[in-house]
Amino acid sequence: MTRVLLADDSGTMRTIIRRSLETLGVKEIVEAADGAQAAAQFKPGNFELVLTDWNMPGKTGVEVTRAIRAIDPKVPIVMITTEAEKARVLEAIQAGVTDYLVKPFTTEKLREKLDRYVQSA
Amino acid sequence: MTADYINPFLLAAASVFENMLGVQIQREKPFLRKAIEPQFEVTGVIGLTGKATGTVAFSLPASVAIAVTARLLGETPPTVNGQVADAIGEVTNMIAGAAKAQLAALELSLGLPTVVIGRECSIAFPSRAVPISIPFTCDLGPLVVEVGMVLDHH
Repeated sequence: MTRVLLADDSGTMRTIIRRSLETLGVKEIVEAADGAQAAAQFKPGNFELVLTDWNMPGKTGVEVTRAIRAIDPKVPIVMITTEAEKARVLEAIQAGVTDYLVKPFTTEKLREKLDRYVQSA
Repeated sequence: MTADYINPFLLAAASVFENMLGVQIQREKPFLRKAIEPQFEVTGVIGLTGKATGTVAFSLPASVAIAVTARLLGETPPTVNGQVADAIGEVTNMIAGAAKAQLAALELSLGLPTVVIGRECSIAFPSRAVPISIPFTCDLGPLVVEVGMVLDHH
């Protein structure tokens, strides 16, 4: 059973992503409304995938990524964000992000990420 | 402000509607914005800073804002409420963010979106900006994207 940690300070975006994930067969989704919550909720082995926004109160998505990578070097982390400039993408990758999904996105694009990083939903 | 700076916002609006809502929007004739109040009852506003300073506003009638929210969230709000404001703020953020990515040379930073409900207010653009209003139509109803930017020549 795929468990996803979803971090975004926008309730709308959390709902959009949740609906897409549920369409794709993911039922266990833990939501965090800010970066600090996301970092606190992550424990190695608890999640197969982390989806995080970039700009959030508490900790940014990059800071969340660093915090997770400090205790889990392997869990796939996908940044879902409007930040699409090369320098920003590079910054995220250097922080330890596995992949990047630029808003706006389709459910199909999210499916591609799931298929790539999660063995079975 | 040339088409080079306007077009990213047009393309961004179309992309957001197509990818996130599954709705095609059709552009109508742009015009210079002269009125200071919002065009419609629900308006998302974001400030832009960097090598240009400006404002982008995304305005739509209450019925369209509710329909957009319903498409995004899978449930229809009974009225223009906090859910609608959050949804329109997020759409405005995505439009501005997608446009920003196409305007990398301007090194833009986006402010947090503000959503204004009602028309008894003014949308402020930089004083030297000549805001352009780009109206669109779609199956959900009319909407408008407005952009006013001043390039920093320093």
